[in-house]
Amino acid sequence: MARPKKVFFRRRKVCKFCADKVDYVDFKDVKLLQQFIPERSKILPRRISGTCARHQRLLQQAIKRARHLALIPFTTD
Amino acid sequence: MRTYELMFIVDPRVADEDVVAMTGDYRQMILGGGSEITKEESWGRRKLAYPIGKLNEGKYVLFYIASQGGQTSLAEVEHRMRQNDKILRYLTVRTDEDLKRAGSRIAPLEPPMGATVAGAGAPPPASTVPTPAPPAPPVDRERHEGAAERGE
Repeated sequence: MARPKKVFFRRRKVCKFCADKVDYVDFKDVKLLQQFIPERSKILPRRISGTCARHQRLLQQAIKRARHLALIPFTTD
Repeated sequence: MRTYELMFIVDPRVADEDVVAMTGDYRQMILGGGSEITKEESWGRRKLAYPIGKLNEGKYVLFYIASQGGQTSLAEVEHRMRQNDKILRYLTVRTDEDLKRAGSRIAPLEPPMGATVAGAGAPPPASTVPTPAPPAPPVDRERHEGAAERGE
């Protein structure tokens, strides 16, 4: 007998930046960027964070700039 | 008009007065090239996220520059920074296009605690006039705080 299909209720992820109507991600905003760099300091993928493509691109650019200036780490070991 | 942000990190072993003097030199260079400095921030001593040249701290300085394109001396300024071994890192970012796209919706970022801010003469252009920031969104309680807490 086939088991009844499990129904997952997944909360729909919303792009944080779209919700806040952000048009420019500042590389100096360390607090904001830190929300998108989990433990290993990698950039949190869209798949997890739900960020839209445009804002992920801005975010990625900002994170890379901040890394260059040692505001946030490249990696943690 | 083009606007830029120029941020650089100075060796923490350089005395504060010398940092001010160095900053002054660069300011003169920028002004001499026909650009304006709309705002200047000195973040002071700040922990680096990773060691640069065996140093764990640096002194951060930030210029907001407005320039009538074409005559900029920023390439020259960058060249000088590259040669100065007291400067650990620098980064110039052109911001006018981003700011234009964003209109006036960007609330200027608060400089971190202990930073000194100088307006350097002329008031900032209308586009950077602070607008009431939207209420801060609730912080995602589940977010990883690991990186921040370890705070190497």
